Amino acid sequence: MTTVRPPAGHTDVAGELALVEEPPFRVPRDRADLHLFLQAALALEHLTIPPYLTAMYTLHPGANRPAFYAVRAVVLEEMLHMALVANVLNAVDGRPRVAHSRFVTGYPARLPYSKDRFPVALRHFGVAALETFLHIERPEYVAEPPGHPSVADDDGWTSIGQFYNTIGAGLVRLAGELGEAELFRGDPRRQVGPEHFYNSGGEIFRVTDLPSALEALRVITEQGEGVDHTVYNTDDRIFGEVREPAHYFRFDEILRQRKYGPYDTPASGPTGAALDVDWAAAYPIDPEAKAADFPAGSEVRRAADRFNEGYAQLLCVLEGAFTGDPETLGRAVPGMLALRELAERLSRNPHPDPARRERGLHASATYEVTDEHFARARGGHLGTP
Amino acid sequence: MTATPPHPGARRYDVIVVGAGLAGTLVAKQLGDQGWRVLVLEAGTDTLSTWPGHLDALDTFYSATAKVPNSPYRPNPAAPSPDLLDIEGLPGGGYRSHGYFLQDGPLPYGTDYLRATGGTTLHWLGLTPRMLPEDFTVRRAYGYGRDWPIGYADLEAHYRAAEGELGVAGDAAEQSEAIGLPFPEGYVYPMREIPRSHLDRLLATELDGFPVKESEGAPDTVLRVVTTPHARNSTPDPRYDGGRGYRPVGAAGLPNYGERCVGNASCVPICPVQAKYTPLKTQARWDRRVALVTHAVVSRVLTRGDGRVLGVEYLAYDDPAAPAHTTHTAEADIVVLAAHAVENAKLLLLSGLAGHSGQVGRNLMDHPVLLTWGLLRAPTGPFRGPGSTSGLESFRAGRARRDRAPFRIEISNWGWSWPTGAPGSDVARLLGITGDSGQPRGKGLFGSALRATLGDEIGRQFSLQFALEQDAEDRNRVTVDPGRRDRLGIPRPVLTYDLSDRVKRGMVAAKAVSDRIFARLGADDRTAYGPGPFSPGHFRFAGRDWVFHGAGHGAGTHIMGDSRDTSVVDAWQRCWEHPNLYAVGCGSMPSVGTSNPSLTLAALALRSSEQIHRDLTELHRPVVVRAVPAPAPAPLSGGAVPAPATAPGPTPVTHHRGPEGQP
Repeated sequence: MTTVRPPAGHTDVAGELALVEEPPFRVPRDRADLHLFLQAALALEHLTIPPYLTAMYTLHPGANRPAFYAVRAVVLEEMLHMALVANVLNAVDGRPRVAHSRFVTGYPARLPYSKDRFPVALRHFGVAALETFLHIERPEYVAEPPGHPSVADDDGWTSIGQFYNTIGAGLVRLAGELGEAELFRGDPRRQVGPEHFYNSGGEIFRVTDLPSALEALRVITEQGEGVDHTVYNTDDRIFGEVREPAHYFRFDEILRQRKYGPYDTPASGPTGAALDVDWAAAYPIDPEAKAADFPAGSEVRRAADRFNEGYAQLLCVLEGAFTGDPETLGRAVPGMLALRELAERLSRNPHPDPARRERGLHASATYEVTDEHFARARGGHLGTP
Repeated sequence: MTATPPHPGARRYDVIVVGAGLAGTLVAKQLGDQGWRVLVLEAGTDTLSTWPGHLDALDTFYSATAKVPNSPYRPNPAAPSPDLLDIEGLPGGGYRSHGYFLQDGPLPYGTDYLRATGGTTLHWLGLTPRMLPEDFTVRRAYGYGRDWPIGYADLEAHYRAAEGELGVAGDAAEQSEAIGLPFPEGYVYPMREIPRSHLDRLLATELDGFPVKESEGAPDTVLRVVTTPHARNSTPDPRYDGGRGYRPVGAAGLPNYGERCVGNASCVPICPVQAKYTPLKTQARWDRRVALVTHAVVSRVLTRGDGRVLGVEYLAYDDPAAPAHTTHTAEADIVVLAAHAVENAKLLLLSGLAGHSGQVGRNLMDHPVLLTWGLLRAPTGPFRGPGSTSGLESFRAGRARRDRAPFRIEISNWGWSWPTGAPGSDVARLLGITGDSGQPRGKGLFGSALRATLGDEIGRQFSLQFALEQDAEDRNRVTVDPGRRDRLGIPRPVLTYDLSDRVKRGMVAAKAVSDRIFARLGADDRTAYGPGPFSPGHFRFAGRDWVFHGAGHGAGTHIMGDSRDTSVVDAWQRCWEHPNLYAVGCGSMPSVGTSNPSLTLAALALRSSEQIHRDLTELHRPVVVRAVPAPAPAPLSGGAVPAPATAPGPTPVTHHRGPEGQP
């Protein structure tokens, strides 16, 4: 794992930041290049899920329900994005790989596709966690893809939006070079459809050609950051659903304890109804917790290890569904429920280390998934941690 | 939706629907979509359609001591609901009734309902089997009960429409092949069947193809475990609707939420993730022309001298706890009573309507349930998934119906929860706590011994639920007692209820079948029937003790038929004597078969909506008073002014609407 020193200003993250592998700063040149980019997008969509889950599962039971359901809605859409990227990758005859130790970078990680050295850590529900989420989902000026004269001086990615636009440019270019049918020659049986995945805002759809692939990229970027300088996503336009604030603005509502009203803009900020948040109703955790911090043989350690192994099992199920039969995606459900129980149980326990316990910290799930976990996961089965 | 009652007399509607439960919600949906202005009056509150209201109901359920069907829903003294805890058994047999119902029959009516937006369907299990074709003709075919004026074929398209509206998960091919239900060629349900539970598979291994005699000398009946259709989100079937597929409907009150069934195992009384259908999901898609007024208890249907009804009188309250209400009226071209079988009968009786046949309130029915329970040798995986995912369907049809009530066997996934209150009662028993607080506490198990014993015993629990068809009898009835009134001053319903010997003979057969199944499974049978506080349904028959339970399937009371002399409503659920008054719901059913009735209720409501639409259309179509003469061809030349047509002057014409909608 490559690491960098964290920037100043985030003093509670003292250790090194894991680096997410970024593809080279260019428009994908050929099919293999495109696969590389889409695989990186898959890892990017996954990167945000553990921090969001950690915020949810550190809440006191029954507390901060509006916040809980807001984060939950976002995390489900991130899962939708992962599945959509897998569909695009399968459509262009790639192979989505999620069950290997390099896929889960480790936390804290450096936010990729950004000039800032911003740490994405696993934090309990609270102001620091929400500020992290806002940073991840922040709508910002999206630079043109590499090669455009306006970015001639850049030597690296400046935003996630730029990265996705680059994938879009690559799809268009390769569809022109190879022919659309040849580019989208992937096995249609690998496509995840609405019968395999639902419950999020938006809807999974099959990717079979250039328009559906570009639509998938549009859903991914617009659900996160909103569209047309409004606070809203495009679920109403694309899916005929209730219009909802994009991820950034939903997190902003919690942080500012006020809802966005129908006439609010990003500039106005939220002026709607008050949203009650109890900042104390969460179990504080160490943002750099590692399973090794918990004494070997202790119950907390066993639960943390079981969690990491369960997470490896979950990723094996996902890879099986993405590379084989999408029907098997349903098997992830008992695995996710088991992980939720384990994570909540961990955060209800005071940290075993006396110094950290003194600071009021609790144990937590660490999302450290090693090759050893994967090896054991492939031998075991899900739902029985 | 509006929360303000309309100004008395100031607003007229095309239709007033009384009750925002399943039937009323579907009627309002259909008519609103067709452009009619609909007023829905709901006696209860609308808290549950909000997400905080849903979470509050969950919390109330989790903390309730007795997890009865109404336990999540807050009592409302202004619009009281019957509750299963209202009846208690007496030590020497017999029962005592408290609460909203007044009961004076030999046996208690052990079925509740819920007066709130969404209605009793908020706490239903969600099973949606269709009735069998022969269930509609029990009198002609088997010589008991009452026949329907319509048959399965008349309702088939509406069954499909209801399955679409409710979002049914099931295996149509299996229903057709194993039960013989006729479907159109290639029909599939909106979603694939809810997967079989571990127990279903365990039982199928032992019971599929196993022949059983229900009594000495009876012919063999071959058993087969068949999955049950559910109104519950599962995996959408892309083949549905000619390949257009189905989009599952999420939760009411929170956008983009609502999961597939993940086996929370509390369908009755509340699905935490709203995978189960409730009418709140349909209400979220009501047209804007549908106005819902809650806290509005209809006290009377207002009628004109000629039999047509004008509208309703209703009592509006604000605070359910305060004894204060105001009286209002609302008028409409058509009034639809959709308030539950008991409440519909109560309203007709209080309004003095539809009395010609003398059948209002009579033929009260339910599906009396006999429970058997025991321990299997192997773990059954109880308390996971919906209450039942499969059943044994072989005793629902056929010649045996001549002599005894038919029954459907539900395989329960929830251990002994219904018969004994497991698993809470198991913990109490092992701790030495008995139901009798006057007795000293016995010696209990603690710690790991308690955990191990609980794990072993609870893990092997299973029970069978035999739901029997109850035949229509006019002695089983709802009346009202003007001397005993509810908080708003409305006379309370009096229930007079008993089981026929035909039903009791059905229970004897059911128990015999259960004994053979238990023997085949090598099960340790723990079934025991006797009088006691938790057995208000105790009775003796054929020299033995029995205990039955209500299924929550209130039916009868305004049955449909083909004659005004013997039935209350016609085949469209329209009161024979009141051409613009409908009474919809299970109350219209002249026989109930062995199917959980909500799907049939929904199909009937959709069918009636079509007729209501036709009635309304007719009411708005003027008769042509005088034919306009065809103009004479104008002359191509010449300046002659055409002579004016001879004006015969207005002819008095009687406005005849014709006989109101014969079916």
